[in-house]
Amino acid sequence: MEVSEPVLLILLSLAEQPRHGYAILQDTEQMSEGRVRLSTGTLYGALARLLDERWIERIKENDSSRGRQAYRLTAAGRRNLQMEIARMKHLTRLAALRVARKET
Amino acid sequence: MLAFYRALLRLYPAAYRCEYGDEMMDVLMEVKTENRKKGALALLFSGAHETGGLLFGAAREHFYTITGSHGSRMSSLRGRFAMKSEFRFPKATVGLMMVILAAVMLTIEKARAISASIPHANPAVGPIHPTQSMIVQALLATLIWAIGAGAIGWGILYVLRRTGVQQLSEMNPSAGQRANK
Repeated sequence: MEVSEPVLLILLSLAEQPRHGYAILQDTEQMSEGRVRLSTGTLYGALARLLDERWIERIKENDSSRGRQAYRLTAAGRRNLQMEIARMKHLTRLAALRVARKET
Repeated sequence: MLAFYRALLRLYPAAYRCEYGDEMMDVLMEVKTENRKKGALALLFSGAHETGGLLFGAAREHFYTITGSHGSRMSSLRGRFAMKSEFRFPKATVGLMMVILAAVMLTIEKARAISASIPHANPAVGPIHPTQSMIVQALLATLIWAIGAGAIGWGILYVLRRTGVQQLSEMNPSAGQRANK
């Protein structure tokens, strides 16, 4: 599955704790300092893909009287997220090295 | 505005709407309440943003329903024989059509070669008689009429949500599958 920036932010949001749809929207906006503002259609499109790939799962929210659905990262999702972070770390290290080499 | 969002949600495939529709409406309501506190301009921008998202989302979900593909790398790793309840355009059809096209072109070329090798075997064809021309026209008209009637019939079934694909998706929405995961 392609991990775009919005998907990465959604996964990071769920890595901390299970969240329902609106909480994910708020958290992704906060994490990206207002740069990424997901629409509801985009959010649920991404959640549906992540559910299909079993990176996340649905749970009933405990502290909600409305019986809202929350989403939580699965073990496979966490593993894939860690792989993605490792890939990004490698890329940023490489980028830093190459930029430094060019400057000298 | 919520009625407008609800109308936009009707553009999504039925199975998707069954699974996420209510939840999406809850989120849209919360977004609207939050933006109302920020002022009319924020509400307007948010409305346009959500409308765009819903329209694009509906188009994307219909595309996924038709192709059965999420365009993802993971899908290809799940195994070639993974079965899905959604309708998928059979990819083998494209290959088969290409083979048929190649065979037809090969046959035409072969016929030309045979015709060139024995020039006097096939006498020149004279002008088409008016009666023959009328038969061709009648056949063409019947074909066009049949295609048109078929398209109208399918359109009526689609509007009434009675196509086989829609009935299957209503009988067996992926909600059940995802809940079991």
